[in-house]
Amino acid sequence: MSEEHSKKDRREFLVKMGIGAGVVGIGTQAAASLRSLLPNVSYDAPTTVKLGLPTDFPDGMKFLPEQRLFVFREGKVFHAVSAVCTHLGCTVRAEALPQPETMEVGGAPMRVTHRFACPCHGSKYTGDGKVASGPAPKALAWYHLTVSTDDGQLVVDLANEVGRDFRLTVA
Amino acid sequence: MATAAKTPPDAEAPSAPGVHPKPFWSFKPRSDREAGDAIVANFALHWFPAKVFKPSLDWSYSFWLGTVSAALLLLLVVSGLPLLFLYVPSVERAYGSVKDIEWVVTFGSWIRSVHRLSAHLMVAAVFLHLVRVFLTGAYKNGAGRGQRRQWNWVIGVVMLLLTLFLSFTGYLLPWDQLAFWAVTVGTNIAASIPWVGPEIRELLIGGRNIDQATLIRFYVLHVIFLPGLLGALFAYHMWRIRKDGGLARVDRAATLREKQAEEPVKTKTYTLLGVARGTAPAIRAASLEARDLTVNAMPDLVRRAAVAVLGTFAVISVLASFIRSPLEEAANALVTPNPAKAPWYFLWLQEIVTDTTFTIAGFTVNGAFLGGVILPSLILLALTAWPWLDRSPAEATGVWFHGSRRKQNAFFLLAVLVVVLLTIVGTFLRGPSWQLFWPWQAWPELPTRI
Repeated sequence: MSEEHSKKDRREFLVKMGIGAGVVGIGTQAAASLRSLLPNVSYDAPTTVKLGLPTDFPDGMKFLPEQRLFVFREGKVFHAVSAVCTHLGCTVRAEALPQPETMEVGGAPMRVTHRFACPCHGSKYTGDGKVASGPAPKALAWYHLTVSTDDGQLVVDLANEVGRDFRLTVA
Repeated sequence: MATAAKTPPDAEAPSAPGVHPKPFWSFKPRSDREAGDAIVANFALHWFPAKVFKPSLDWSYSFWLGTVSAALLLLLVVSGLPLLFLYVPSVERAYGSVKDIEWVVTFGSWIRSVHRLSAHLMVAAVFLHLVRVFLTGAYKNGAGRGQRRQWNWVIGVVMLLLTLFLSFTGYLLPWDQLAFWAVTVGTNIAASIPWVGPEIRELLIGGRNIDQATLIRFYVLHVIFLPGLLGALFAYHMWRIRKDGGLARVDRAATLREKQAEEPVKTKTYTLLGVARGTAPAIRAASLEARDLTVNAMPDLVRRAAVAVLGTFAVISVLASFIRSPLEEAANALVTPNPAKAPWYFLWLQEIVTDTTFTIAGFTVNGAFLGGVILPSLILLALTAWPWLDRSPAEATGVWFHGSRRKQNAFFLLAVLVVVLLTIVGTFLRGPSWQLFWPWQAWPELPTRI
């Protein structure tokens, strides 16, 4: 190989090295800048929330806007249904039925007093959260309820979705 | 081209080469040379050509929609500057600061209205510009030979997208109910993408809930990132128009001229020899040199551009004096307004995400993903790829409704019609709970709180 040729090879190699180093450098800086935009700490509201004493809840339905949650009570039996529309996350509205109906929910009969309608894209749900019509792809979530051991308040776990057979019976 | 008129001796004192002796530029050139100088030496106009093809300036060819869009962009930047001093991008104070702009700051509501109306009209103008370019086949390379108009069309599609993103990020800055629920719906559309959706939403809103991190993200996108990107693409868009030989209409004239000129050439026998000796008639690709078809950019192009730009300013200024900008109630995460409507230019999408959820064999596809992600992506893909799919001949370049493009024009107009109809349905026929109502039908009374 002539000296000319190896000089040319070296120049090409150095040019490629330079470009490569530049791309890596800028790429790393870009990646670092982007990574900084992914939060490491979440300041979101906790998912386990105390809702108040069971006796504070009226028979029928109570809407809790902060948790975007409907809590239903039928005597000593409680269950909670999410108010977040499964289509695009708007808050659904409860509409009282003209006459309460009894329907089979999760294998047991349940007195249903309301149905739900979403203001954003018109999804409609039956009183147990099932999709009746509209673009909603799935039923409204049901969340786990317990009674707090320290002060007897109703506690919802918004990270714990449960089936439609869930009932909390408060003694 | 040595036809420069004699100029008085005092007007052009001898100056060193490369030195422009006068403090400003001529707006009333007395020679071709001065006319060229008035463009080239002018910082604001140097990106114009010195000479332009006369029919390119016709109002009825382009309707100057690109210029109007650019004028609106300029107006948006200028009216955005005072708003930058007055607006506070914090969830506690954003709504209050916009309220102050609207009701406390002197001329505040006018400036906000100029900004808002320009934004609305820019969406319309950019869209109509795209329609015009499509219907005139202006993304086609009529003269061929190194033209890359199809890429300028792609840049244009991206600029339309940026215009829509700028509008979206802009109307959520007041942090009112419209803003809050628009972000909710908009980012949930992103979240509906399988697997990566929730991560994308988290990156967009800076967490899992819409809060301060969300507002500052969209604020930075609105005032720095997106305008910067749009500005850079705008400059490139303009440069490409020059480098592709001007408006597509020029190609048309060049092809016609070439055809006329070619016929006699064929019958002659001296052509080959003539080419070798350099005496054969040379046909220019773009006949910008033809004196009967071109005019000096100063003043003809500059005058018309000024009419388009200043006219746009005037219309907006007057409209803004009469039309107030709405401001809904402060953002309230607890109550979704009913009905919750997007701005008019997104209502067709709101219609589509409403109607595209379906179930096959027990498997449900969310309309948010199909109508909000897949369908817009397909539309964008089709728009982007169209210049490569369009097989019409070069003669169809720069002509309104050319016969060879009848089918694709009809298809395109049908798609435009569907979008317009869906927008009309969303605007006028949707009421509470997104139900259909005729305009003359009363909406049912609804409790504001349950």
